[in-house]
Amino acid sequence: MTDTLRRLMRTPQGVLGSALLVGLVLACLLGGVAAPYQPEAMDFAGRFAAPGIKHWFGADQLGRDVLSRLLIGARSTIPLAVAATFSGAAVGACIGTLSAYLGGWWDEAITRTIDAVMAVPHLLLALILVSTLGKGSLNAAFAIAISVVPSMARVTRSVALAVRQQEYVKAAIARGESGSWIVLREMLPNVAAPVIIEATIRVAFAVMLFATLSFLGLGAQPPASEWGLMVSEARRFMHQAPWVIVAPSLAIATTAICFNLLGDGLRDALNPRDER
Amino acid sequence: MSIAWLLRRLLTVLYTLLVVSIVVFGLTQLLPADAAVTLLGENATPEALAAVRLRLGLNDPAWLQYWHWLSGLLRGDFGTSMRTEQPVGPTMFIALGRSLLLGGLSIAVMLVVAIPLGMLAALRRGKAADVASSLISYLGVSLPEFVTATLLLIVVADQFQLLPATGYVAPSENLADSIRHLILPVATVSLILVAHVSRMVRSETIDVLNSDYIRAARLKGLPPRTVLMRHVLRNALLPTITIVALDVGYLLGGIIVVEEIFAIPGIGRQLIVAITTRDLPSIQAGAMIMAGTYAIANTLADIAYATIDKRIRYD
Amino acid sequence: MSPVLDIRDYALDYVTRGGTQRVLRAIDLAISAGEVVGLVGESGSGKTSLAWAIMRALPANAREAPVGRIRLGDTDLRAASAKALETIRGRRMSMVFQDPSTALNPTLTIGRQVTEVLVRDRGLSEREAWREAIQALEHVDLRHPEALMRRYPHQASGGEKQRIGIATAFACRPELIIFDEPTTALDVITGARILELFGRLRRETGVAALYISHDLALVSRVADRVAILEKGAIVEEAPGATIFRHPMHDYTRRLVAAVPRPERRLVSDHIADDPLLSATDIAVRYQRKRLFRPVPRPATADIAIDVRRGEILGVVGESGSGKSSIARALTGLADYTGSIVLAGRRIGSAGGMDRAYRRAVQIVFQHPDSSLNPRHTVADMLARPLRLYGGDVSTIPALLEEVRLPADYAKRYPHQLSGGEKQRVAIARAFAARPDLIICDEITAPLDVSVQASVVELLLRLRAANGTAYLFITHDLNLVQQVAHRIAVMRNGEIVDLLGIEDLRSGKVHSYTRELIAASPAPVG
Repeated sequence: MTDTLRRLMRTPQGVLGSALLVGLVLACLLGGVAAPYQPEAMDFAGRFAAPGIKHWFGADQLGRDVLSRLLIGARSTIPLAVAATFSGAAVGACIGTLSAYLGGWWDEAITRTIDAVMAVPHLLLALILVSTLGKGSLNAAFAIAISVVPSMARVTRSVALAVRQQEYVKAAIARGESGSWIVLREMLPNVAAPVIIEATIRVAFAVMLFATLSFLGLGAQPPASEWGLMVSEARRFMHQAPWVIVAPSLAIATTAICFNLLGDGLRDALNPRDER
Repeated sequence: MSIAWLLRRLLTVLYTLLVVSIVVFGLTQLLPADAAVTLLGENATPEALAAVRLRLGLNDPAWLQYWHWLSGLLRGDFGTSMRTEQPVGPTMFIALGRSLLLGGLSIAVMLVVAIPLGMLAALRRGKAADVASSLISYLGVSLPEFVTATLLLIVVADQFQLLPATGYVAPSENLADSIRHLILPVATVSLILVAHVSRMVRSETIDVLNSDYIRAARLKGLPPRTVLMRHVLRNALLPTITIVALDVGYLLGGIIVVEEIFAIPGIGRQLIVAITTRDLPSIQAGAMIMAGTYAIANTLADIAYATIDKRIRYD
Repeated sequence: MSPVLDIRDYALDYVTRGGTQRVLRAIDLAISAGEVVGLVGESGSGKTSLAWAIMRALPANAREAPVGRIRLGDTDLRAASAKALETIRGRRMSMVFQDPSTALNPTLTIGRQVTEVLVRDRGLSEREAWREAIQALEHVDLRHPEALMRRYPHQASGGEKQRIGIATAFACRPELIIFDEPTTALDVITGARILELFGRLRRETGVAALYISHDLALVSRVADRVAILEKGAIVEEAPGATIFRHPMHDYTRRLVAAVPRPERRLVSDHIADDPLLSATDIAVRYQRKRLFRPVPRPATADIAIDVRRGEILGVVGESGSGKSSIARALTGLADYTGSIVLAGRRIGSAGGMDRAYRRAVQIVFQHPDSSLNPRHTVADMLARPLRLYGGDVSTIPALLEEVRLPADYAKRYPHQLSGGEKQRVAIARAFAARPDLIICDEITAPLDVSVQASVVELLLRLRAANGTAYLFITHDLNLVQQVAHRIAVMRNGEIVDLLGIEDLRSGKVHSYTRELIAASPAPVG
């Protein structure tokens, strides 16, 4: 574990990604405390205030401080997306590994079905689910988790298949190891690494998808200061106060970049190369 | 390419469409405990609820509901919109046409930009041009479409007043105007696609450039341009077809958002309207058509790939 | 007469994350017209780097020492511009690569890849080039060259592709051709034919050639002079005829000693006819019958094979002969039909292989890189068979000592071990359960010849201590004649010969076996 962290810090992506992640985690945990204003504090006199000393990122159409809303909004945007991704990834990974292990007809059937479900683009699937379940952050998160399952299953399956071909798995079979040993102790440690990397990168997608759903009015609901929602609300006033759109956009981008970088950094860190 | 292979591919896409229809129908009509309440809201009168149930056949067993809907689809009957009382099919397909125009242009732009960009980055690996384009790509895949669209709107349409902000004009009406209205939406969608695809092209090209046969070609005394055009290009482009096919999925997601922002009456917009107004038949039809388009696009890509790649065996 | 290739005092470094590595030191080498100079070295000796240095195709992290000269005739290659090199390559010097499958572009026809050289370097028109190409292919004994020209590389065999590579290299009548281990990736018999072709062509054309290989025995038969490369420095240079018989330098002596010589038997005991394992009617099928596809051919026809207690049974054959399939069937890694009898008990299928069987029959695989789980330590891996078969985990240090590895290697991960060390761990793992039979599936193939010799010595020592029998699968006929009591020869899924070692020498063998023997001549000296 510490070994992995050390290797992660050797790559520029790992360092940058980790730094950003720390920043985002702090924003989620301490946003409420660090925010200079209450997110709902309206100030009609200061509407559309440009970024300046009083409001570092400016103020929106109701005079609310953008920076504060941004910091509080981290809590609305990120944790649910992360949770959705990892729960979806866990389910997907189980399905993928199972399919690879079973092989034969079962594998074929499961794969074809996964491929078929993947014919529904992620946003579309999420939209359908939300239209049925109703608007709201939790439903949106659930929809995202469901949409993550098929792609993670597919990735896990192909990794598991590759691992299954390795000779150390054959050596284990020839030794007479039980099926559960082979899957849990021989295959899983080697499957886990690429899956974790893939899941980390998916978080970036999940954050963007969540923001998109909120933007379309189907995710987080007002008065939450979720970043996608902020962009959507500010659209009408983009002429007067473009910064109200730019700030949350940058926040979303930063988050996505953070997880992309982490994923890239982990790719190097989790694959020990010849160190002799 | 043998008939057996084509047959299997056809069966696969049919199976896919079947599963998609089950997913769409299941999630929209069968999943909610009481679809009528979902549609009309908690406060609807019992009479209204009963009327909706009757109209949509919600009292029938699940498989029968599905069968009615599916058989309707196969006959070309996509149901009647609850909002407009018009048949859903024609509206959706006309809207699809507009989306295809938007999507098609975006893909064309993407191919023209992303492939040379990716190859250039691979050729100048590690140098300034590569790093710069990598950074831009990174940014491109980290911005959701609605962000890009809104920012473009602010800068181009609002601050500089260069192009119209929203709206759609059919090419048949006024070509120049149509183009002016399409520039920003196409730019938004292509941006994300370019960011994504150019990265893939770059990594594919790097793999090809490092391959033994390219080294052998260079050592045969062939000039660099010949090596590039004759040897590198086709090996790097082949996997690009698969990537483009996958990106149609991103495209469809992006189109929904872009049509919403730029007020283009394509199928994505219809879908959003249907969802917001809880028009169940329209939701089902729209989702089915979008997913079906994706499945067919993938199949076409598979066939294109197979005709070009002589290495695949079709037994 | 000035030499065709003249390398003087050349040195090369690679800059890696771990520091600067000196790969070639003070290389002096000259090749005259019509001469073949062999360059022999093990992995990591720098022989391939020298080839790249001559062709001026070094990787980006290569740093050449400022002194040091490489001349092709009158041309200073190091000073040549990129444009000049373009004209030199292909026309004045060319190269034949090690792996013919990867040296050809999979998406272009064979014809295109041959004619482009002719068009470019001899200024021919497309049509003239096509005709010339067909002639060139005929000249390297390829049948139906017109049809071959229209095909794609994956539709040609390994031997055909290498002939095409040779034809392309000779096409523009260069002054110098570099051959980088041209037969290593090919089967024994195919490789022997390629060598015959090489001999004929060099006599006809009088081209100067640099023949790179790890196989000293082979090179000494092929080359006029041989240079031995050890860790980047040439330690000895002598005529091919004498170097094998009278090696001067220590390293050369070690190489010569490590080469398998069939007349030098390493086992001298006599094996009683005490059957340990006998398998009959074994047919291995790899693919299930799938929808719309024809039934696949079995990998092995109904074969019968038996191993006696304590014996070493060699199994030789080329790729596709089915020898690995037997290994897989006997260890339950592949589905088979037929029956296996071990110590009186009958095993009808892979599912019937119980713990007792598995303890008795172990396997060591060919690639140590993939047969060790990268996430397990050496201790983890050695503990498994002990735990499964009632051994004592505290014997792990003793196990490591048996295979001549330090006890503290127990904490190491595979990526911290060399190829030879990994193979030793795999052997230790197989021995941990004290099996009756160990199947060695081409375990020495990827190793350097000196490492191979030490692994073979290890196997024999362990056998002497434990009385284990081996099913030794290999393609090296000379090696198997040194260690085996009986030899099975396989071709196309069938056993064509199963004889004792004396019978092999006597010459009363199948015609295929005779072909194999002819293709792997015993080293002279």
